[in-house]
Amino acid sequence: MKEELFVSGRNIPNIDPYLNIWHWEIPLYLFLGGLAAGLIFFAAYFVVRGKEKEMPATVKWAPMIAPIALIVGLSALFLDLSHKLYFWQLYTTIRFSSPMSWGAWTLLLITPLSMIWVASYMRDMFPKWDWKFKFLYKFEAWVISVRKPFAWVMMILALILGVYTGILLSAFNARPLWNTSILGPLFLVSGFSTGLAAAIWMSKDKNERKVLSRIDLIFIGVELFLIIHLFMGFMAGTAVATEAAALFLGGQFTISFWVFVVLLGLIFPATLETIELWGYHVPKWMPPALILFGGLMFRFVMVEAGQITRFLY
Amino acid sequence: MNKQISSNQERYLNPYLGGVLLGLLVILTVYITGRGLGASGAIKSAVVTTSNIIAPYETQQNGYMGRFVSDDHSPMYNWLVFESLGVLLGGLLSGLLFGRVKKFRIDKGPKITNKKRLIFAVIGGILFGFGSQFGRGCTSGAALSGSATFALGGVIAMFAIFGSGYLFAYFFRKLWI
Repeated sequence: MKEELFVSGRNIPNIDPYLNIWHWEIPLYLFLGGLAAGLIFFAAYFVVRGKEKEMPATVKWAPMIAPIALIVGLSALFLDLSHKLYFWQLYTTIRFSSPMSWGAWTLLLITPLSMIWVASYMRDMFPKWDWKFKFLYKFEAWVISVRKPFAWVMMILALILGVYTGILLSAFNARPLWNTSILGPLFLVSGFSTGLAAAIWMSKDKNERKVLSRIDLIFIGVELFLIIHLFMGFMAGTAVATEAAALFLGGQFTISFWVFVVLLGLIFPATLETIELWGYHVPKWMPPALILFGGLMFRFVMVEAGQITRFLY
Repeated sequence: MNKQISSNQERYLNPYLGGVLLGLLVILTVYITGRGLGASGAIKSAVVTTSNIIAPYETQQNGYMGRFVSDDHSPMYNWLVFESLGVLLGGLLSGLLFGRVKKFRIDKGPKITNKKRLIFAVIGGILFGFGSQFGRGCTSGAALSGSATFALGGVIAMFAIFGSGYLFAYFFRKLWI
């Protein structure tokens, strides 16, 4: 190991007193990662349950967004790196104690696998599609024959990906807003909810949308529950944590969080989904668009606010 | 609630019940915020903010708009802006519950074109914007909240708005019937 000498007069630009290194790239990446995790999880889930026919948009069409989201997200992540040429070094080791190692390996697997998932449904979606080469047809037939185990693998990877987008932040012990174990499940639930929203938006089948909306309502409920507990935890914590929570309870992020994330991004779309389930006509793009907006906003707020929170001195 | 709403008969709340609810809302607003509600203030904030982005010097020099610009916070940091956001959401919810939200369309009288309807709507909006700022408030800010506190100005504003509405309706009836 290389020794590093660190002398500080507390003049560390962009790190002390406030972290100022993560801009739009990271929240966008966390959002797209969560979205892809949600899309893949539910596509796989309905295959495992044997509901491929009833849920065509969730299983076949919506997952087409997943590889695109992953590639755009990873490009944003790559843009953020200071030493772009050394990113491959993540793949020279496996460290179970490092969320970044988990994420790097999961992404290495799930990105190509999500492409294979979409490819295996290509001829279902576009009957005129031609793979050109014989070995591709053979490969397709093999993937279709192992679809259920494949779906299980995808479900597990999607869970890891979803949790990782939150754990990535919560592993920062110097930033009190992020350093809470609720962040992992919270980002997982939020990511799954955005994935469901994208599937609802793409679905043309009334029954499918109904099933997805019901699941989405549960996820929104759980998300609200976790958000409340996040703040209860902060308020019952040390002065550092209370100060972090104060940013959201009267501080500069109060409006962006409670109005735009919680009200517009969770409670209002949940209300719309509920009245839609009751039989009222709601424009079908409206609840999913609000949920996706709320999910994106949530990550921007969390990344931005987290960088400002710090230990007292 | 009746979910089978026929396509051409749109449904609204009983106007008398709506009026009572609006009155109760004013009481609630005063109880919660310590002041009445308003709508034109939100539009004013939006106008000042836009103007301040495009031409900051002129806006700050302007005797009227300059009063709303401060270094501490944006003019949008005003509870009326968020109240208006809530009005939009509430209106949407009411429209959904009563089956008024359908395909995008322009409501108008049967004898005029969409273009004419939009032009007159913009002219009406501009006049109302002027009027609300001269009258220190609109139907909700001056007339509703004002008369709720028995302010003479509020009562005058109420009669002026609806009285002149009755008077001018005759001349513009062709736009609607």
